[in-house]
Parts: sequence; structure tokens; C-alpha cells
Amino acid sequence: METATLDGKAIALGDAYKHAAKILSGAAFPLVAGLGADVAGARAAILLAERLKGAFDHLASRETLADIDVKRSFGMFTTTANEARLRGDCVVLIGPGLTRAWPGMLERLALAEPPRRGAQAQQPRKVIWVGPEGEEANAVPGAKVIPASVQELSGVLAAWRARFGGRPVALGAEKVALIDDLVERLRNARFGVFVWSASTLDPLAIEMMQGLVIELNATTRFTGVHIGGRSGASGVTQAAGWMTGFPPRTGFGRGYPEHDPWRFEATRLVDSGEADAALWISAFDDEKPAWSRADIPLITLAPAHTSPSRGLFIKVGQPGVTHDAVLMSQETGGMTLRKASAPTDAPSVAQAIGAIMAEVSEGAWR
Amino acid sequence: MKPFTFTLRQEPPQRVDLSALTPDRLAGKSVAQIEAIELGVTRISTKVGDLFKISEGDLKTVRYEGGSSRFDLLGAKLLPGFAIHVEGDVGAQCGRLAKGGRITVAGNAGPHAASGNLGAEMEIKGDVGDFLAGPLAGELAGMAGGRVVVRGKAGERAGDRLRRGILVIEGDAGEDLGARVIAGTILVLGEAKGRIGYLNKRGSIVLARGGCFGSTYVDCGAHELTFARLFARSLRDHSAPAADLLSRKLRRYGGDTAVYGKGEILTAD
Repeated sequence: METATLDGKAIALGDAYKHAAKILSGAAFPLVAGLGADVAGARAAILLAERLKGAFDHLASRETLADIDVKRSFGMFTTTANEARLRGDCVVLIGPGLTRAWPGMLERLALAEPPRRGAQAQQPRKVIWVGPEGEEANAVPGAKVIPASVQELSGVLAAWRARFGGRPVALGAEKVALIDDLVERLRNARFGVFVWSASTLDPLAIEMMQGLVIELNATTRFTGVHIGGRSGASGVTQAAGWMTGFPPRTGFGRGYPEHDPWRFEATRLVDSGEADAALWISAFDDEKPAWSRADIPLITLAPAHTSPSRGLFIKVGQPGVTHDAVLMSQETGGMTLRKASAPTDAPSVAQAIGAIMAEVSEGAWR
Repeated sequence: MKPFTFTLRQEPPQRVDLSALTPDRLAGKSVAQIEAIELGVTRISTKVGDLFKISEGDLKTVRYEGGSSRFDLLGAKLLPGFAIHVEGDVGAQCGRLAKGGRITVAGNAGPHAASGNLGAEMEIKGDVGDFLAGPLAGELAGMAGGRVVVRGKAGERAGDRLRRGILVIEGDAGEDLGARVIAGTILVLGEAKGRIGYLNKRGSIVLARGGCFGSTYVDCGAHELTFARLFARSLRDHSAPAADLLSRKLRRYGGDTAVYGKGEILTAD
């Protein structure tokens, strides 16, 4: 298939970069969205947004910002997966789909093995899973499974926290006894860990859980491991942080970065007509934009096997697959280099954006 | 004396920041100077003169003839003694961090209306967006004073982290009404959807119709509360239906026991 197409028809790569630059430079408020890229790609994309005085958003910002909101307006205890594996004697998994959000979770946290360090070293690890889905309920031998729907999770956490503080809840004696028993297990942990993903836990429930962590820390050690969003969300957020001081949903309209999770939400910007051109980047898995307007001038950077029938499309490589990529690793909680497993000569996101940037002249839009 | 009036010429092509157009910041400026004030927040310049026709008047009251859902930060940091009236809609963060004064909006308001309000009296005749009176991303507390009356509906997370003051929503409220409330009072005369008062510390949430409170609100029985009737009298001039609700016998649910348990949800019994 072609490496670049315009409205479905093949176009030379050099012309595609020129055309992309023309679309973005001519817009009143261009948007860099999707942002599914490695760190180099994110750096290039954010620099482009700054040059164009546009805005940038990541496709998994809702999840990323759920965690960040708690972190910045309340506080958050977190640790790395390795620390949880080595020391965690009581691991509480919250919500369904954790193994989908992080396929390597069970292996990395080694939940079936005892912790190797700390006061409870070599003692069996206590594992509690609230609201697992399907096979997850049997994934950890000996785990205590508490069935709950996604909607019930926030209420479950609230009831635990109320009983932990010795305050009343409007539940029958039998249920209260069950909760008290569970809360006692948390209290007796020497290094407890909550594991969650913001794809199933809303920011208020995360705040409730982190409040419980604070209270548990008065007498023991408790912390959390949060599972980052898809399409390189954690790495992109780190890059945005060191480049602008803010996470995604940041705009450069006035020449300096302004962060507003409502104003710079990609879908709202496009559907309201405020953004009048968009660069969509989804280099991991070719996810499509969520907005409903089809008439916005659109440039897509993706590893697609079929090119879109509308707009400009430039084929890029997949980070860590066709290109070496620096990515935030859920396993270590740090940046790691992922070597290409099947290198190709397609441009990386950073190379493609660099080529577009070279065609955007400084101040051309004035 | 007639108010200082901005008459809308055309819908702005982009969002605009109207925080520069409060009475105290306009004082001492000529019409030409005001017309040159930059309102745009994108690389396309939008000046006051591009959007509005100005007719001078007493700066104690600023009047907007025509509004837009793209008018952000209208009446931000308004000072006591001044008033702003908008004959139309407003955008995000209307009345943000207002210290006092009075803001009335004849149409709808966007998200974060009355965010961080410190003492202004606000009336919105239409609907409001999400996070009414709530803090912006990363802030620790929401509205800390004043009174906000919404005649229409409110979006999600109304009254988030409210610290002091009164919120009246005469229509329905979206999900997560009164979440993380520190203190203050919220009254809802319509229906409140979804979770209510999650993580509420010491606030009072008064509902004309019941709702879903979860297991961390404990029934404390129905009461004829003397204070509620006194409160009703002070609210009568601003919202008669809210005053009627407070005059009724109210059932008290204490909570959110997950955090502190000193808050309450009162429902008409």
C-alpha cells in the first residue's frame, strides 16, 4: 500500500509533508490530537503544536487526567510494580479488566509467590480482587474475590473507608461483618498495595481509595500501583510535563502554554468548530478519532494497512515494532528503550513531524 | 444613569477572554482604548471593537446586549458594589474568583460557572455546564462564598469541593452533585442523577426529590428544623421554591461517613 495518500489517492511523500504544513499553517487554531507515539514522537508533536500556536491532546487523556487530578488536587501514594512485587504482602486489585489494561500484570507482580523482602518475607501473599471480570477471578490462586460491578466499586471503597474509621454504614449486620473482616486484613498488612486502572475507576473513587491509603499509613505502610493509559499515555504525559509544565489538553494560542482539560479536549475542539484543522497521530494501533465532524481538514499519521478515503494520510512506523522507541514502562515505572522487533524504512512519528515542521515557516500565518 | 453597554456585533469566531472587561479594569479608559483591548486566546486577534459596539454609561453596571457560549471568564474577579448583566449566553468560568458584586445571565452558562466564587451573587436564568462553583484542575477548594441561583439545569459535578456559600439549582442536577464538598449548602429542586454527595465532609445538600446516596449516608430521621426555616426566610427573595423546600419537614441522612460524617443530605419527607 502507498506510504502517503490524499483522499485515498497516492501522493509523493515530499508533497504530502508540504500539503500537511499548508493545512496546519492556514488554520486559525490547529489541533494535534491522538498523540499515540513514543517520547521522540511526542516531543516533535508538542513542538509543532507550539510553533503553530495550536493545542495538543492525547487519545487516552480521560484516564491519564483521572489519576493526575487526584495527584494534583488531593495527593497520591504510588510505588513501582517491582517494589509491589518484592514487598507487597497484601495486594488489593480494584476493578475489572486490569489484565487487559496491562497484559503483563500477573507475571510482573508475581501475585502467586510470597514477597521476598520486608517484615512478611516468604509469608504467603494475601491477594484481594474486587470486581474482576471473567477469567480474572481465577487468575490468582488463593485470591479472595469480591464480586462487584464497575458502578459498585466507588460504593465498596466508601464503605471500607467508613468502617476503617469506625463510622456507621447503612448496611445489614452480615455485610458490615464482612467489611470489618476485610478492613482488618488491610490494617494488619505490613506493606499493602492497591492496584487500579483509571479506565474503570473514576477520579472520585480514586480519591476515596487514596484517602483510605493515607489513613492506613497512620499505622502501617500502604501504597498504590496505577496502570497507565493506552497508546503510550504515560510517556507522552511525562514529555508534555517536562516541555510545558502541563499534561495533555494544553494549548499555545496566546504564545505560552495554558492547560484546561475542558477547553483543549480534542473532541470538543473539533465538534465545536474551534479547531479548524487536525493532525491525528495513532502510531501504536491505528485508533480512529472520537469526534463526529467529518469535514475538518485532517492529516493522519498511522501505521494503517488501508488508507482513509478522506484527508491526508502518511504511513508511519510503529514504536517498538518497526522503530526503536523510548517508552514509559509499566513494569519498571521508568523510561525504557524498546528495540525494533521488525524494522522497516517507514518514517517514525518524529521523522514525519520533523519533515512537516521543516515546511512550516516561522510566522508564515501572520 | 444608564449602564455601560457592550452590544454584540457578531458571534466571535474563537473563544474570547472577557476578564479584562470588569468595571474596575475599564475605569479611566477612553472608548478608543477599550476598543483596542485584545480578547482573543488564539493566534487570530479579536479586539473589543471587533466584537462589540460600546455605549458609555455608569461603570457601576456593565451590560452586555447579546452573549455567546464563547464568552469565557466574564465577570472574573468582580469587586463588591459592581454589577454585570448579560442578555444572552456566557462561556466557561463566568464569575471566576469574583470577590463580590452581582452577575446576572439571561441565557445559559458554560462549565465552571462561579468557580472559586468568593462572595458574588450570581443568577443564571438558563442552564449551567459541568463543575458549577467547582475548582479548576489542580485547585484545592471550590466556591468559598456568595450565592448562586440557577433557574435551569446544572451539569455534572455541581458544587465540587464547595467550601462556603449557597448554591440553588431549580432544575435537575447531573451526576456527582456535591462531590468532595467541604462545607456550604446546595439545594436542588429538580432531580439529582447518579451518585450524590460522594466524599462530602461537612456540607448540607437539600433535595426536593430523593436520590441515590449509597451506604455511607445513614438515616437520621425526619425533623422540623428551626434553622432551615430561618434559612428559608433569607432565601425567599432569591428563590421561592427553595424557600418552600426548606420550610418543609426534612429527612436527614448523615454522611459521607467514609470521610468525616459531619455532612448531611436533607430530603423532603
